[in-house]
Amino acid sequence: MNRGLKGLEEKVLDRELCAACGACLSLCPYLRSWKGRVAKIDNCKLEEGRCFAYCPRTEVDLDEVFQRVFGKGYEDIEMGPVRKIVMARAKSRIWTKKAQTGGVVSALFDFALREGVVQAGILTPRDGDMLPQGKVITRRKEILRCVGSSYVAGPTLEALNRGPWNGKERIGIVGLPCQVLALARMKASKLEKRTPIDRVDLVIGLFCTWALDYKPFMAFLNERVGRRSIEKLNITPPPERILEVTAGNKLYRIPVDDIRPFIRPSCRVCMDMTAELSDLSVGTVEGKEGWNTVIVRTAIGENLLRRAKKAGIIETRTLPQNNLNHLIEASLLKKRRALGALNEKGGIEKGYFRLSAHLIKRILSEAKEAAP
Amino acid sequence: MISIAQNTPGKTVLLMGNEAIARGALEAGVKVCAAYPGNPSSEIIGTLAKVAKEMGLHVEWSVNEKVALEVAAAASLAGLRGLCAMKQNGLNVASDFLLNLNLTGCKGGLVLVVADDPAAVSSSNEEDSRIFAKLADLPLLEPADFQEAKEMTKMAFEISEKLELPVLIRSVTRVSHARGNVSLDELPKSGPKPKFETSQPRLAFPATANHKVLHEKLNKAKQMFEESAFNFYRGPKKPEWMLVTSGSGWMYALEAVVNLKVQDRVGILKVGTTWPLPENFVLNHLTKSDRILFIEEVDPFLENNVKEIYAQNCLDLGLKAFSGKANKIVPDVGELNPEIVTHAIMNLLNVLYEPRPAEYAQRVHEATSELVPTRALGFCAGCPHRATYWAIKVALALDGKGGFVLGDIGCYSLGMGPSGFGQMKTLHAMGSGAGLACGFGQLDRFGLEQPVLAVCGDSTFYHAAMPALANAYYNGASFLLLLLDNSATAMTGFQPHPGTGSTATGNEAPVIDLKAICEVFGARVEVVDPFDVATTVETLLRLLQDEKGVKVLILKRECALVSAKHQKRPYKVEVDTKRCLGESCGCNRLCTRIFKCPGLMWDMESGKACVDEAICTGCGVCAEICPATAIRKEAA
Repeated sequence: MNRGLKGLEEKVLDRELCAACGACLSLCPYLRSWKGRVAKIDNCKLEEGRCFAYCPRTEVDLDEVFQRVFGKGYEDIEMGPVRKIVMARAKSRIWTKKAQTGGVVSALFDFALREGVVQAGILTPRDGDMLPQGKVITRRKEILRCVGSSYVAGPTLEALNRGPWNGKERIGIVGLPCQVLALARMKASKLEKRTPIDRVDLVIGLFCTWALDYKPFMAFLNERVGRRSIEKLNITPPPERILEVTAGNKLYRIPVDDIRPFIRPSCRVCMDMTAELSDLSVGTVEGKEGWNTVIVRTAIGENLLRRAKKAGIIETRTLPQNNLNHLIEASLLKKRRALGALNEKGGIEKGYFRLSAHLIKRILSEAKEAAP
Repeated sequence: MISIAQNTPGKTVLLMGNEAIARGALEAGVKVCAAYPGNPSSEIIGTLAKVAKEMGLHVEWSVNEKVALEVAAAASLAGLRGLCAMKQNGLNVASDFLLNLNLTGCKGGLVLVVADDPAAVSSSNEEDSRIFAKLADLPLLEPADFQEAKEMTKMAFEISEKLELPVLIRSVTRVSHARGNVSLDELPKSGPKPKFETSQPRLAFPATANHKVLHEKLNKAKQMFEESAFNFYRGPKKPEWMLVTSGSGWMYALEAVVNLKVQDRVGILKVGTTWPLPENFVLNHLTKSDRILFIEEVDPFLENNVKEIYAQNCLDLGLKAFSGKANKIVPDVGELNPEIVTHAIMNLLNVLYEPRPAEYAQRVHEATSELVPTRALGFCAGCPHRATYWAIKVALALDGKGGFVLGDIGCYSLGMGPSGFGQMKTLHAMGSGAGLACGFGQLDRFGLEQPVLAVCGDSTFYHAAMPALANAYYNGASFLLLLLDNSATAMTGFQPHPGTGSTATGNEAPVIDLKAICEVFGARVEVVDPFDVATTVETLLRLLQDEKGVKVLILKRECALVSAKHQKRPYKVEVDTKRCLGESCGCNRLCTRIFKCPGLMWDMESGKACVDEAICTGCGVCAEICPATAIRKEAA
């Protein structure tokens, strides 16, 4: 049931469950974000609203959403529908030299733009202050400004609602799992939209285990590295797990445990590590530096990857079984932890999604077996 | 318009109570008049300012009431007659000086008029200023009508000179602001030359000795008042009930007695000299009846003082029944009116009086409620304060740390209500926003995480906020002071102040620069135009971040009512109904439901917003807040 802004406030904002995905922003004057935090400015009083309908943390019927995107319910419990999994990397140094790992997302997006698969994209540049903000992009130069991660959540999807759009362009979006879920909800919504969601033809999802709250994290970084401008953030793979901060020609190494307090509460209840509702999901490959894991989920995704490979933009290899097992374990572990967190918060049934009891049971039992 | 400076003895003219007071001062030969504006007192000095040149007076709007009283007192100490006027809150400000001036005494007649605002129609508090006369041992007169307002003022100067004491006059809204016939007397031709007698220093010290002298003077006043024509009785020799009244209570009592047709059963004792009470006069009349009802505005001042005299003499007087505020026969808060007084007498006398059916009020309400829209207290169309509070609201919501606004006295006090989006969270006295901020601004060391903001108008800043700012810098308080500079003392009627460049009498004056003062007090100062909402929000957000210390943001934009007098509308504002989202998701009437500028209307038929061209001032702020860019502004 849609309960408008009041419902959003009670279920999401007041409970600090906002993922800062941006789906509710620039739709109306009542919600705005500042430094990664979404704020209610006034009461809206409408009983039904797009804010509530699009939010990935209100009342999501997972079966219904998956049915609409994939034509089947939430049954691939490990990591969502999978057509194919490979490891891949961009071939050109344009992408690999700045990339967080293999440069696949940037190279694929650039390819999609040049091939006319889409005419515009929404990516997430992090200008000077590291604050992620969605931006409409149409050129390679702009893609380069979006390379890399700041591990911080930001309202990327606001750019979809805000534009500017010319009204005809087909759109591609690169988003985190929460953003990808919001996009699926936007597409599914029956409310009058007034956004170009129906022209979104390509969704590339990014693996995500959690994102940090911008303001406290930046205050922490400023304390650690002083007022130096931060050039790059990188988290080394387990077992080391160190946040490497490149700032003012110096490398600072901060244990990840030190930044865990800044993980958004919304991430702790998130069931999705691999952006299950996208056309293609991209992440790292543990132990294989410079390579991405790519999960192909739809025909659109499959087609794009095939053409990019043929055009010599991307090279792929088989993902070793060991890595695949590990990926499944990690994905299921995130689901189990999310269910645990929801139980602590008053019960899974009071959480933000609806899922049948037998699927919940399956996740819990399989995850237990898979968990290290 | 009648000039109060006309020298036409014997002529009867229609005057507002405050004009009558001003005329009384002119007839008494007043030379120096000073005040800080405040309803319902403002017209006294406002009227005198208009005739100042013609009459050769010094009239000034002082920066606050204490300074105003000091200015008028200086004239008196130099042998001239001085008048000072203020509202009830003002006397609180001036009281420190007053309670020392009583000890030094004065020379030329010095009259302090305090206009009380029963029911606090245009005040932050409801207060009975008469208590100060008792506190300060000073004579007090209470005019009951317009003629008396003039006569008493004139007489007050005489009494003041005879006793060498300042004399208080207490008016109330219905005396100050109503109009009635006043018969004029002659205006004096010349006055004395001022000189301060250095051989007679005016020192409150030694206080005890001076206090003794003060009591002697007060005793003299009591003797003088025994014969005062301002005190009289009207009614039967032995009434069943005697009403004891002062001020506006006299007219209400008279009307009630006549309406109830109980003139043969009820008498009215009207007292004009309410402190010190003429004891013998009171005692003589107390013998008339054993049942006494007090009719007076705000506190039971007369009631308690008469009871005090009775208690001292009760063995002689025998048993008496007193009614009034003490036993709630008369309400002890709010303003009186003939109806309240009529009902009080009806209950005591057990008479019936029904000038109209009991359900009349209900029927009127039913018949008219559809026709008369409910109107909340709100800012005018194009008021800069609306834009300011809008920016504050947005910035505080985005900042998300629970920041709050400490309020102050001025038009912007309406920021407590819907017009200011409920942003103002405290309301006390002039300058108290900045003062409270000095305290809240120290609480971070105990764990207060909320940003502290205070609002203050330009006139209020000169009046009382400057000491708070000095205190803040000196003691290291952290807060953001928002100086709402609309270049006017707007709420009380656009009196000039030290920032406006002119004086009460229209002379050019130096402008005291707010920014420069704040910088001298160590504050980091920025200036924005509140009509530029986006920049204002951005600036507020920046200033709200962690940096400690005193920060001042001056929101500079002239009062819309002042602007309307000297400039045309800057923009023509229109609604593009095709773009207007109306009540649908994406807007839901932001402009008429939340922003609520009176220049915007909601067309119920089309379900779209529209502009009321008669009211719109063309500020263009609504064009900035419209989420659909449906409101358009074009340079007019």
